[in-house]
Amino acid sequence: MSFAARAWAVCAKDATEELRSRVATLAVLFFAATALALTAYSIGPFGLAEEDRPPLQAALFWIILFFAAATGLPRAFVREEETGTALALRKTLPGSLVLAGKALFNFGLFLAIAAVVVPGFLLLLDWKVTAPAALAAVVLFGGYGLSVVSTFLSALTARAGQRNVLFVLVAFPLVLPLLLTAISGTLAATRGADAWTPLRVLIAYDGAASCAAYLLAEAAWED
Amino acid sequence: MDTVRSTTLSAENLSKSFSGTPLFDGVSFEAGTGLLAVAGPNGSGKTTLLKILAGLLSPTAGRVRVEQDGRALAGSEKRLAIGWAGPDLELYGELTGEENLRFFRKAAGLPAGDDAIRSRLADAGLSEAAAQRRVDAYSTGMRQRLRLAFALLFDPPVLVLDEPYSGLDVSGREVVRRVVTAARNRGAVVLASNDERDFESPDRRIELRGAGGGP
Repeated sequence: MSFAARAWAVCAKDATEELRSRVATLAVLFFAATALALTAYSIGPFGLAEEDRPPLQAALFWIILFFAAATGLPRAFVREEETGTALALRKTLPGSLVLAGKALFNFGLFLAIAAVVVPGFLLLLDWKVTAPAALAAVVLFGGYGLSVVSTFLSALTARAGQRNVLFVLVAFPLVLPLLLTAISGTLAATRGADAWTPLRVLIAYDGAASCAAYLLAEAAWED
Repeated sequence: MDTVRSTTLSAENLSKSFSGTPLFDGVSFEAGTGLLAVAGPNGSGKTTLLKILAGLLSPTAGRVRVEQDGRALAGSEKRLAIGWAGPDLELYGELTGEENLRFFRKAAGLPAGDDAIRSRLADAGLSEAAAQRRVDAYSTGMRQRLRLAFALLFDPPVLVLDEPYSGLDVSGREVVRRVVTAARNRGAVVLASNDERDFESPDRRIELRGAGGGP
């Protein structure tokens, strides 16, 4: 059985658990919907001059995605530690495989968040996207990078005492370049400018993050 | 036809400290077949020693080797060659007993058909009806049986069992006894317990004294 099929088994297990408990999905979607509603009510489609809208909307879009994701994505390993199931995983599977499966699940969760936030932005904030394909690519590659980094940091901090604080402290410098690039790509997609440069940076970031997470997974996961 | 393989578990000068305080040191043994009893008072390090043997904790010094037909196992081979169950092993509450075992077989890259799963559940004394229930709804004894099924999941030549009789009724204890008897005849069983009656004619014995006392 290939590594991908085995990682898929981990992802499918997490998805089954999540579908039955709905803890992360509800928390994440509720956060996304609340943040979206607050943004729509406070600035709305016409609360800003038209020329000021694109950069602010791009930044708000990723702030909502990031914080909604930060509500659910770090749960990947924390939940295993809290329920005591981490021992069974550690006993049977290598860290890289568990990390790949959980990153896959987190990416699915991120896409679910994006599926709520993107239409919400288009409807409530009169968001004008000139290049929808470029926006979709920025969301996919940005979301993938965010999922991989969050999953890896979740493995790293899951057994720490102050894990929530630690997660944020470690995540900030690692995720900042990704978010700034994603915002720049989103801005380009909304203005119809060249989004290829930020996309290339996102792809490079995703590749580097995937390799680093794969190579460091054992150290982060094992005792 | 299954090939009978000779597997040896050996511990070489194992020691473990927590925050500089030694728990045990100088633990060495070699186990090919038979029952190795690990005894000692509460806090003497039995659970820690068994976790080190199972690859779940790193020793402060020393090493654990698993050799099969003279070849040292590493990585996934070593991981799956040792079946472990202990009191702090938990399985997924939202999944059924059968789904739990199927997941671990699949993720380990092994066949996870109904027969493979049900035979392990039956070996651990879990009925088909119980196997279809979510683990959340299991009693203490059923959870203990599921832990045993987990330890047997990959047909490991070495079994490491920490308090396997805990929380079991008479029939459950009989199931564990049967599993231990079968396993010690074909490989090594390392069993830790606070109750001397759980060790039935052990072939070897390690007595931990705690607080750095060693064996």
